[in-house]
Formats: sequence, C-alpha cells, structure tokens
Amino acid sequence: MSKEFSTFKKVIRLPHKYGAGPTFTRFYEGLKQGKIYGTKCPECGDVLVPSRSMCPKCHVNLSEWVEVSQEGVIVSWAQTDKDFFGKPGQGTYTVALIRLDATGCDFLHLLGGNLSKVKTGSRVKAVWNEEKKGHMLDIKYFEPK
Amino acid sequence: MEKKENYVIMDEVTIPYELAYGRTWTQFFDGFREEKILGSKCPKCGRVLVPMRSFCPRCFEEISQAVEVSQEGIIISWALTEYEYFGMPTKPPFIGALIKLDGSDTNFLHLIGGIDLSNPEQVRKTVKNGMRVKAVWNPEKKGHIMDIKYFEPVK
Repeated sequence: MSKEFSTFKKVIRLPHKYGAGPTFTRFYEGLKQGKIYGTKCPECGDVLVPSRSMCPKCHVNLSEWVEVSQEGVIVSWAQTDKDFFGKPGQGTYTVALIRLDATGCDFLHLLGGNLSKVKTGSRVKAVWNEEKKGHMLDIKYFEPK
Repeated sequence: MEKKENYVIMDEVTIPYELAYGRTWTQFFDGFREEKILGSKCPKCGRVLVPMRSFCPRCFEEISQAVEVSQEGIIISWALTEYEYFGMPTKPPFIGALIKLDGSDTNFLHLIGGIDLSNPEQVRKTVKNGMRVKAVWNPEKKGHIMDIKYFEPVK
C-alpha cells in the first residue's frame, strides 16, 4: 500500500567517546596480555569479573586484583538469529552468562565453536583473538570443552 | 610518576527516522515538484502563510484554501554562516534568510545564493535587507525543501 502522505527520511548520527576509567582500563590491559582480571571484595570475598571499583553488595572500594580462570560454566545463554535495529553484531550469534571458576558473578560474553551440545551448566573455555587491542572482543568467544 | 592514560572508547549511535509530512505539507512539497510555491490563505484574516499551515495561528481557523505565491520576494533578515559544526545539513559558507514572498504575509526561511560568499565584507556590501530575490530551482525535484536551490538577487 502506498503512503497517503509524503515523508522525510533522515539518519541522526551521534558519534561519541567515553572514558573507560582506571578500573576498566586495567581490565582491558589484562585482556591485551591474554589474561582475565577480577577485583576481590575484602568483605564478602567475591571476585567480580569484569573488574569493578566497588562491591555492589557490600558498598566497599575494591583494590585487590586477581587473575581468574579462563574456564567456567554456562549459567544462561541465548541465540540470536534475527536482525533487529541496533543489534550489536551481525548474523547469528550466541550470548551467554558465564560463571568463571572461583568468581562471584556472571560474565557476559559470546559462545562459539561447536555449540550442538551446549546447555546450561556446560563447561566452556576462553578462545582468544591473535591480535589483541585491549577490547572486550580480544576474547573471541567461549567454546565448549 | 608517569601519568597513565585511561582508555577512551569510541562509539557511534545512529538514529534513522521517517517524518510524515501530513496532508498540508504533502500538498506544499508536491507543489515544489511543479516549481510552484503554495501558501495557505486564512478564511478569516486573509493572510497567506508560506510554508503552508493547516490552521491560522492567529485566528485558529482551519485553512483549506491553497494559493500559489510569487517566486520573488524581499529579504527581511539574513545571516552568513561560516563556522562549520557537526550535523549541519548545509555546508558553510551559506546565507540563511527570512524571505517575504510577494503575495504572502509570512517570512519564509531559505538560503540566499548565486553570489560569492568567500569574503564576508563583500557579502555585507552585496546583501541587504529589503533586497529583491528570486527562487532558483534544482533541476531534479524530490518534493523536498531543497528543491529550491536558493534565492538569488534579482538583477
């Protein structure tokens, strides 16, 4: 059906930059070296990944840095096969909340590799990109073990 | 101690949108396709409004009568823009002007062109309030405000 009235089409562009701050900067620098860092809460002992400057549970500043395991279990996952406006990637991809071993929170990242038998509770392992830029996607994805 | 810079992450948000012109502006911009500038004539005060309006903002009367107005008029006010900033629809330098077209009673916002804009002092000597200007059309019509390329001084 043709439109009854004319329309005017335009795209608004909002380029922007944001400061990652000292805590995330240190986390990203860890990724650059192929390491995943968390911060440990002195009160509850939880290790938070990605690193946080404060513990959202205890409301205390965190300053203890620990390298965490590159393996963990899938807590939850979802596969996206439809395109929609603002989708942060292309094609079909699978996102998952991953509880890395000995950490106190779930880490959001992609799943890759052979996902035919993937399920909640599956063990996964980080797969790194060759070239590291100090970016969240220096970890290519987590693949089932 | 050496100061360490924190990471700065570059990103971009895009917001595509589509604006419906509605009945009145559809008629107005359809007029552009035939190189016609249409105004809305208020049945109460008789004023002709350009661009077209669906009602008279002074009498609050609904307007259904469209009249073609002249392609010539006078400059009421103008400003030369040289400074370029992000998101500009038109590249500087350009002159934005309020133009009162003959047979209309409102000021129509558009560009003044067809003259050298490189020297602001020269522009000040050329462009004057009250000066007569005439619409110059783009050969290709899209039913868009820029179907009129600009208004140029009448020789």
